Amino acid sequence: MLVPLRYNFRSLLVRRSGTLLTVLGIAATVAILAGVLSLEAGFRTLFSESGREDLVVFLRPGSTNEGDSIWRRDVADRLVKTLPEIRRGADGRPLASRECYLAVLRTRIGGGKTNVPVRGVEPASFDIHGDGVRIVAGRRFRPGADEVIVGTKLVDRIRGCALGDVIQLNTTPLNVVGVFESEGPYTSEIWGDLDRMQAALVRPFPNRVIALLDPGTDVRALAKRLESDKETPAKAQTEREYLAAQTGALSATLLTLGGFLAVVMGLAAIFTATNTMLAAIASRTHEIGILLACGFRPLAVFLSFLGEALVLGLLGGALGCLIVVPLNGLETGATNFNTFTEVAFAFRVTPEVLAKAVIFSLVLGLLGGAAPAWRAARLAPVAALRRQ
Amino acid sequence: MGEPMIRLSGVSKSYRRGGETLTVLDHLDLAVPDGAFYALMGPSGSGKTTLLNLVGGLDHADSGEVVVAGTELGALDGRDLSRWRADHVGFVFQQFNLLSVLTALENVELPLLLAPLSRKERRDHASHALELVGLADRMHHRPGQLSGGQEQRVAIARAVATDPKLILADEPTGDLDRRAADQVLDLLGQLHEKFGKTILIVTHDPLAAARAEKTIHLDKGKLDRVETRPPSPGAPSRPPS
Amino acid sequence: MNKLIRRSLLRHPVRTLLTIGSLAVALFLLCFLRSLVTTLEAGAAAANQQRLWVQSAVSLFVDLPLSYQGKIDGVDGVKGTCKWQWFGGYYRDQTNFFAQFAVDPEPLFAMWPEVEIAAGSKEAFLADKRACIVGEGLARQFGWKVGEAVPLIGALFQKADGSAWDFQIAAIYRAGRPTVDDRTFFFHWDYFEETMKEAMGETPQVGVFVIELEPGAAAPGVMASVDALFENGPQRVQTTTEAEFQRQFATMFGNVPRLISFIGGGVLLAILLACVNTMLMQAREQLREIGVMKALGFSDGAAALFLLSQSLLLVGTGGALGIGLALLTQRGIAGFLSRFFPGYAVQPLTLAAAIGVTAILGLLAGAVPARLAERTRTVEAMRPH
Repeated sequence: MLVPLRYNFRSLLVRRSGTLLTVLGIAATVAILAGVLSLEAGFRTLFSESGREDLVVFLRPGSTNEGDSIWRRDVADRLVKTLPEIRRGADGRPLASRECYLAVLRTRIGGGKTNVPVRGVEPASFDIHGDGVRIVAGRRFRPGADEVIVGTKLVDRIRGCALGDVIQLNTTPLNVVGVFESEGPYTSEIWGDLDRMQAALVRPFPNRVIALLDPGTDVRALAKRLESDKETPAKAQTEREYLAAQTGALSATLLTLGGFLAVVMGLAAIFTATNTMLAAIASRTHEIGILLACGFRPLAVFLSFLGEALVLGLLGGALGCLIVVPLNGLETGATNFNTFTEVAFAFRVTPEVLAKAVIFSLVLGLLGGAAPAWRAARLAPVAALRRQ
Repeated sequence: MGEPMIRLSGVSKSYRRGGETLTVLDHLDLAVPDGAFYALMGPSGSGKTTLLNLVGGLDHADSGEVVVAGTELGALDGRDLSRWRADHVGFVFQQFNLLSVLTALENVELPLLLAPLSRKERRDHASHALELVGLADRMHHRPGQLSGGQEQRVAIARAVATDPKLILADEPTGDLDRRAADQVLDLLGQLHEKFGKTILIVTHDPLAAARAEKTIHLDKGKLDRVETRPPSPGAPSRPPS
Repeated sequence: MNKLIRRSLLRHPVRTLLTIGSLAVALFLLCFLRSLVTTLEAGAAAANQQRLWVQSAVSLFVDLPLSYQGKIDGVDGVKGTCKWQWFGGYYRDQTNFFAQFAVDPEPLFAMWPEVEIAAGSKEAFLADKRACIVGEGLARQFGWKVGEAVPLIGALFQKADGSAWDFQIAAIYRAGRPTVDDRTFFFHWDYFEETMKEAMGETPQVGVFVIELEPGAAAPGVMASVDALFENGPQRVQTTTEAEFQRQFATMFGNVPRLISFIGGGVLLAILLACVNTMLMQAREQLREIGVMKALGFSDGAAALFLLSQSLLLVGTGGALGIGLALLTQRGIAGFLSRFFPGYAVQPLTLAAAIGVTAILGLLAGAVPARLAERTRTVEAMRPH
């Protein structure tokens, strides 16, 4: 027979201040873990979920990101013109765009410098992205003109990125003629005409090529073929794969940080929970004697106190989640360690994050409660009854 | 005898419990002369312990005057009252109330910390007090390692360590068996006879009360009657009304 | 009295140990987190006033023409310049990451007195074009000795035949100030330039030029003149003080410092709660004893002090352990984090702050139960339960 859980709830209520302090301690620990996890979730979602499966990114073989990837112009041209799998638009031209990419130093509106990606694209880019890139203010830049459009996330964070402002790149002033929106990391970028960007940055080479492929093309087979291609050697991957690979370093850092904090703070929280449960049991030794004398088995007493510790953990977990939920959607910036550029993204308190947080809190309760519950179960009934 | 050691005039005390007011002491008058050994008896709730607390300066009366060892306690604030207790009163409790983490000797030394004494003097006073209660060989034991009777004797040693004139004991034998109780009562008797201490003990035990010169019976916060002649040991005592 | 405080804490050895343990963990964490932030800012804080850094105004990833050096040398107030080029190679395996720079050898020593030779000699480095000088931290990590040959694989800059670049360690340096970290690998610009000319057929470009000011020269004037030199291209430059140059790397971490402070706050709060909890338990159990002490004539203040001292002793012990732990692990962590936080160190100010935090925690955790003890009425404390 099990000791009714009601008994434990009442006990927690009676020892209000101890219960509350322990719950708050667990909550703070859980909130920190959940906060870091939702940061990671936000970052990962931004990159991996915005990538498309039918859009292929070609990099120079051996490079992992477009910052490293430097193409010879003729090779990139040949790839766009000759690759048979590339889909053709209504006008018969390939739906492919060569792009140049550079992280440029810009000033934050709050002060301080940061790296902002500048991307030079060809007109086909807009056809390729379709609804993926939408102008929300102003208009697109004109091909060949010294004009740029900026991602929505830059407008309020980076100086000179409002509609009508002028962005100076090296010796070239560029007019901001539009603001665009996108689901992916493009919203933290400045886009302009490929030729004009290359001229302004004095970098006469493209960094990557993107293209839409004919429906049904096997991207893996294509990647394999291009890997050892003599004419146009390239590393081909879907946009989704490419973006997912970009999150590696920062995700790993955040997960390491989160894991480290969870272990260290969790240790402290377990200590506190153990203390609270030990005190609870010490002050209820007499009652435990009564329970045992009534015929409850030691296992029932053990489970009862373990249950009480789990309730403590759960309350802390629930409170921790409540603390973190308002963070959902909060914008922040972080450095993508792959390209050393700053990306803006939002905390995402996903059900998965919350589930992890709650499980973590239960583990804290379990580890904190196990030793005291064991002690309670092993009390000799007669001795326990004698204690006041 | 001039001024009595304890003089209560018109003392009232009530507590609020829940919504109602409970009158514990009701215009009580009482005098205990210097060097006397009085017992205080009465049914539960008759105000014995409250009376003892007032005399010991642990609590203030609502009205009336409590003069102990020449001091009107109502006029003292918390801080002065603490110092006054340290100088004038020794307490003995039913549950001994020794500090479990300290040895017998250190427990007895505790009140001496409040007196301007050197370390050595403190130690001497404390071991002397322990010798007096016959526990010189147990001075380095912790309370947990002593029997109930021994614990209470340590408590008595603690009460007399500062050499106060007045010793207040609340059910000192309540938790003890007969033999231990007798030892404790013998000790209190000695303190009274040999050292001229004024002793006031609250008790339910007629045999304990029998040691006193006078037994004061309280009932419902009022003085019921005073027996000057203690009932002879073993005789059935009047059941408390 | 001291004995009573100590023994009271030891009445529940498990509880006391657990509380001390969580305190140690918390204080360690605070020192660690704070040190991350100070490490980010250390370079800027220690910056040298006599050095200016010339970088591309456009991007960190854009190099400058070699011809700029002569023009910068001609500016009034410039005593000398030194080229720095990020090499970005690796030793044996790609995971062996550390900073390597091709530099002008003489100016390196003239302009960075904090690069102090610990083993080998300056002369040996200057004499041999393929010589390199490495920091103590790096030498320790790879077990390098003076005279040892170290091949580096060029990830960004490949030799014509694709083979590894050969270097020989001529000296090991000690970092005298945080402006230089002790995990850097310096080698001759000339070796770099010759090899790249052979491989690419053109002169390589320079990452940054560092200017040494003439004594008494005004930095703002020199900065403006250098920037003006290249106003019309081909690459605009941005000349900054060393402090500003270092700071831009710190600000690149964006919200990380704020995030870290936020986490630190959470840690503090959790631990404060845990300590108050322990002290309340402690106080509740000692209520009767505190009553006894008061009956014996101890004042309310003495009773409060009794609990407060317990709290201070408890928290002090835990805090001291945590701070000690932070100091002990300093070197290990520095090695582990060298990639993102080179030069991780626990600053004296961090230690002082940690000691302050410990004291405040002890007072706060003691204040609540002390107040309880002070206000407890003696009579109630001793009432049998």
